[in-house]
Amino acid sequence: MTAVDREAELALVARLRQGDADAFDDVYSAFNTRLFTFLVRLSRRRDVAEDLLEETWLRLVKHARRLRPDTRLAPWLFTVARHLHVSFNRSRVLEDSAAVSLLAVWPFSLEQASPFEAVAAGELERRIEHALAALPSTSREVLLLVGVAGLSHSDAADVCGITPEALRQRLHRAREALANALERDAATEPPVLGGIASCPSR
Amino acid sequence: MSEPLMRLLAELPAAELEPERAERIRRSCRARLTRQAPRAWNSGITFAPLWRPLVALLGVAYLIGAIIEAVRVYRFS
Repeated sequence: MTAVDREAELALVARLRQGDADAFDDVYSAFNTRLFTFLVRLSRRRDVAEDLLEETWLRLVKHARRLRPDTRLAPWLFTVARHLHVSFNRSRVLEDSAAVSLLAVWPFSLEQASPFEAVAAGELERRIEHALAALPSTSREVLLLVGVAGLSHSDAADVCGITPEALRQRLHRAREALANALERDAATEPPVLGGIASCPSR
Repeated sequence: MSEPLMRLLAELPAAELEPERAERIRRSCRARLTRQAPRAWNSGITFAPLWRPLVALLGVAYLIGAIIEAVRVYRFS
């Protein structure tokens, strides 16, 4: 489940507030992969992301009874995950250069692509991952929330604790920074499929 | 270039948690939620219906007592 419709979401929240473990399973299935993907790319480390993910779910369990009946689960969960990451960063400074080398953690699913397309797409993904990882954390998180996790601008603004207008501005700057990083990367390496700019989709 | 860029981001592969770890987290959270439930929810169910009528009863008794006392004082003054 990539998106939970509002009525089903309200029912899930009501069941969580009553301590229904099956409701937890439903929320877990709906959000676990999205949250983990967000945390891996935000922290740039699988081991850190795994710990933060577990802590996010424990926070949900701990606060389940006190959830407001109208709680929106996606912003709630991503806000907790983001706060945990911010707290982690405060307690421990990450080495950017070391983190970039830890990015090859996603299995590529290109069953229908030709061998050439598979290699090209893998190369494209590798470039995007590297460019994304090299961005400042504030730029990376808005791109991950809106571009990868699929949150609305309003939800992403809630998660980051900023106004929707500030989110739009931050997203605009982050897109530009990512595009520039990709162009710089394309200029230094031989292009595959004609480079990033000429390869809008697969 | 922004829109193709966002499309590329949306198409990035998801990160998969090891199934064993995912299952361990799920089970641990379920267990915690189930353990929390009886304490928290029973206390709500057991005491909420008891203390509210009790407070109301005491309030009514106090009010009746005050009225009786007022009438008694008024009658003998």
